[in-house]
Amino acid sequence: MSTITADTTSLDVQAIRSDFPILEREMRNKPMVFLDSAASSQKPDSVVKAMDYYYQQQNANVHRGVYQLSQEATDAYEKGRHLVQGFINAASEKEVLFVRGTTEGINLVASSYGRKFLQEGDEVIISAMEHHSNIVPWQLICEQTGAKLRVIPVTDEGELIMEEYEQMLNERTKIVAVVHVSNTLGTINPVERIIELAHAKDIPVLLDGAQAIPHLKIDVQALDVDFYTFSGHKMFGPTGIGILYGKEKWLNAMPPYQGGGEMIETVSFEKTTFNELPHKFEAGTPDIAGAVGLGAAVEYMEQIGHEAIQKHEHDLLVYGTEALSKIPGIRLIGTAEDKASVISFLLDGAHPYDVGTILDQMGIAVRTGHHCTQPLMDRYGIPGTVRASFAVYNTKEDIDRLVEGVRRAAKMLA
Amino acid sequence: MDAESKLKQLYRSIILGYNKNPYHYEEMESPDHEIEAYNPLCGDKYKLFLQIEDGRIKKASFSGFGCAISKASTSILVKRLEGMKLDEIAPMKEEFLNIAFEGAPTEDEEFEAFAAAKAFPGRSTCVSLSWDSLQEWLDQQ
Repeated sequence: MSTITADTTSLDVQAIRSDFPILEREMRNKPMVFLDSAASSQKPDSVVKAMDYYYQQQNANVHRGVYQLSQEATDAYEKGRHLVQGFINAASEKEVLFVRGTTEGINLVASSYGRKFLQEGDEVIISAMEHHSNIVPWQLICEQTGAKLRVIPVTDEGELIMEEYEQMLNERTKIVAVVHVSNTLGTINPVERIIELAHAKDIPVLLDGAQAIPHLKIDVQALDVDFYTFSGHKMFGPTGIGILYGKEKWLNAMPPYQGGGEMIETVSFEKTTFNELPHKFEAGTPDIAGAVGLGAAVEYMEQIGHEAIQKHEHDLLVYGTEALSKIPGIRLIGTAEDKASVISFLLDGAHPYDVGTILDQMGIAVRTGHHCTQPLMDRYGIPGTVRASFAVYNTKEDIDRLVEGVRRAAKMLA
Repeated sequence: MDAESKLKQLYRSIILGYNKNPYHYEEMESPDHEIEAYNPLCGDKYKLFLQIEDGRIKKASFSGFGCAISKASTSILVKRLEGMKLDEIAPMKEEFLNIAFEGAPTEDEEFEAFAAAKAFPGRSTCVSLSWDSLQEWLDQQ
């Protein structure tokens, strides 16, 4: 673990980088510049070691055996839940469900809440900047129930048009599901206001927190959000594990999402009764090592501290935005006032894939394409963007290399 | 070959030239056939338009958006299609893909420009997208 200075707002980025052995790798014979943490962050040593230790010393199925090893595995798994509960300030561990990731979290709510509460003529509100994972599950349940999808539009800068949202809310609205931080634009949405307006009409709100959780301090009770979901692998944890937070009153009212072991109380061929929360929604043997790794990732982020993370990333965002803006022919996509450390851009006359290929040859990893937000790309009339995203381990030197690479691409493709 | 030279090979003047000035890059008013070439992973999307007379392609054009590689590749395909019999298309596609991906020797400079794509496995669908879509259409005829 890196040494953290007493000043909670500054961090020693070199010490942090030393926690991530992968950052020492070379790509294309050059020191790697990894600017795709919004797709999946790298993992610190402590996360990998915690999972290794689990597999080498504690591996057994959870909530099943009477023997000591099974108890140790159960404790390790439940410790992950406990750490997440504290991390997002959930009122109870019952409200913290392990899922495979954000996508599964949204599918769970869309399917389970939807089957119970959506009827023909009802409305579900999402926004124009949603990831496909917060569009398609709602389309599927709308098809099944006859409910209708309504979409909050965005401005040219990449901000939600809140007046339109306010007018959209009505007695037919049964749920609002919006992204907290846009993966393509970096926009931090005014979620407090979104929740406040929905709650004024007793409508629950789901937030897709996939891109918020690595950057912002999330307090689900302060937000008063009904559902909050995120993935482990974007916050320095492993793939295959994520969290769905849900208020107990909703989770109790909703039917199970999947059937199987663990989620039952009693089973007979005539009738099955379900286990209590959170197990009601955790059918089958869970990703135990994933929960252990996620717990270690929570500890890692808490040791660095949110303030320090946010300050560092904001510095990178400001530095990167300024440096990239100076490149002739560049167009930034997403210039909201309140942004997380994501910069999407286009180069005049150059397709994002060609820019990405040239950057790759310089050892720079960026994301290119539509970022699973095709409707948003259509909104801006563009095929895709080049996206650079920054995490706590990135440096200004990384951004200098990016700027040099983009200039080279502009020259080469001109 | 170092990274810089590989890049220069890929983004040679032939590919960049066709990217900037694509051949018959326009929608056709009343085509006999309209074929979509779409890669949902990257979003590249083209429409190929064919006018056919007596089993021969009289006129071809295309519209749509994509990267320099896919646009140049589609452009060259469209240019070559004109005047060609339908049953000549499959052998031409095989020749093109052999040159692009297998390094088959050739004196065809335009086809040869895509041989550099071999060093960029992530970009192979950009090279073959329109060719594959055309083949799929042919197979259904």
